Amino acid sequence: MKKEIRMALAQIDSKLGDKTGNIKKIEKNVLKAKKKGAELVIFPELTLTGYVVRDQIYELAETIPGPATRTIETIARKSNMHIIFGMPEIDEKTQATLHNAAVLVGPKGLIGKYRKMYLPTHSVFEEKRYFRPGYQTAVFDTELGKIGLIICYDIFFPEVTRLTRLNGAQLIVCISASPAVRRTFFEILTLARAVENTTFLAYVNLVGIEDGLQFWGGSRLVGPNGKVLVQAKYYEEDFVMCDINYEDIKPVETFVPALKDLRPELFDKLKSSAEQL
Amino acid sequence: MKLASFILDLDWQDAVTKIKRFISSYVEQSGAKGVLVGLSGGIDSCTVAALSALAIGGEKVLGLMLPEKETHNAKDIKHAKLVAEKFSLKTKMIDITSTLRTFYMSIPDFDPASKLCMGNLKARTRMIYLYYYANKFNLIVCGSSDKSETMMGYFTKWGDVAADISPIMDLYKTQVRKLALHIGIPKTVIAKPSSPALWPGQLAEKELGIKYELLDLILYGLEHFMNVEDIARQLGIEEKTVEGIKRKWLSAEHKRRMLLTMKLEYRTIGTDLRLSRNP
Repeated sequence: MKKEIRMALAQIDSKLGDKTGNIKKIEKNVLKAKKKGAELVIFPELTLTGYVVRDQIYELAETIPGPATRTIETIARKSNMHIIFGMPEIDEKTQATLHNAAVLVGPKGLIGKYRKMYLPTHSVFEEKRYFRPGYQTAVFDTELGKIGLIICYDIFFPEVTRLTRLNGAQLIVCISASPAVRRTFFEILTLARAVENTTFLAYVNLVGIEDGLQFWGGSRLVGPNGKVLVQAKYYEEDFVMCDINYEDIKPVETFVPALKDLRPELFDKLKSSAEQL
Repeated sequence: MKLASFILDLDWQDAVTKIKRFISSYVEQSGAKGVLVGLSGGIDSCTVAALSALAIGGEKVLGLMLPEKETHNAKDIKHAKLVAEKFSLKTKMIDITSTLRTFYMSIPDFDPASKLCMGNLKARTRMIYLYYYANKFNLIVCGSSDKSETMMGYFTKWGDVAADISPIMDLYKTQVRKLALHIGIPKTVIAKPSSPALWPGQLAEKELGIKYELLDLILYGLEHFMNVEDIARQLGIEEKTVEGIKRKWLSAEHKRRMLLTMKLEYRTIGTDLRLSRNP
């Protein structure tokens, strides 16, 4: 496992419903990242289709593995890169239930997927209308380190990131489709989740306007000490490179031992209080 | 929540940037050649025309001025021209008096005493002109409705509210005034009393029965789920005033959410046949 990796945050504007066009855009950005020496490229939530596709989601969703992931696998294989992107998944077994998924693909093929656990269904969001929530966190032991995946609204629930970290993730990737009025929340929460878990946190958000929703971009890599190591532009497509040295985690954990000082008995209390809410 | 005028303050430059992006992105995605605005010379239409020009360039914005004899107002025309010149947008003026007269004479049961019927006819006639020119020149109709009048139902169904996009519909009137000031709309335009110009002497605040400064705070409170008692207490007004506003807001939903049918089949337009509105 590598101690240092170089990666790219590809903040793109997906075209609604245009999977072929969006895969081309993914490929273009992967090749660009490759040229700049990156080993991993991260794309936003529902990169494959765009976010506000509404009922079209039923015809756009694919199984994982499926046609889209196989195409991305080919891109990853040819370029010898790791790629994380978002897509709507239709469950292989039921062939009927949908999930909002993040997919990790490497040079050797599909590594794994994560199904979004917290589906916002309030204000402008209607995810529970379409998706079934996931029930598992996801951490993958890769050549590039232990990578955990979460999606957008999951970040509001510290237990998701916590569990992902406790399962070994050193880099937690949060792919997102966050509209403009929510920017402050994410800018705070990305810092908080990184610090309270002494982990690297890469946040990659969508840009563009879909059905009146304006996605704000602002993708960033946050270090385990809460420092924003790189930050992409607001609202516009952008592509930023950043480096991670996993050895930076240990001295932070020594300085602010957020993991060492965890109190497991509080989780039981948290559970019983939440059940009584 | 404390209801006071500062609560309606926004980062105006940020709002302008977002609106500009909204307009330019919609025009680009739709493949249209530009934007058409019904330019009355009032604050809302002047602001939308200016924002459109800032978004895509004045040469791609056509301000259609549609005066008619009954409500002819030289000052409004002067203001429209002033804004058009300042933001370098194109204008076209068409007097619609004769079209209106033709309508009046050809409708068998036309009643000149009914201000409402006549006024709405006027608003819808303007809409016909806007969409004719939008079709002719492949333009997007950019509406000028603001949040105050839209919440109150103070508009003509299929009339002044008819548009492809409505860039300032999430801003209350007092917010539009501040944004207008920020982008350099002349103060004379901002300061003059608003009017839908459906009949002579018509004034928005007089018809609504309340000043926009107060109305906007009431609507803001209702938008934020405040109850009538709290709003009235905080603003030092009678509960029945707030109740009246709330009733108007709720009862006008039929004007805001159109295409109502009943459920007969699998997926129904307007309810569970849900598609993205992106062009």
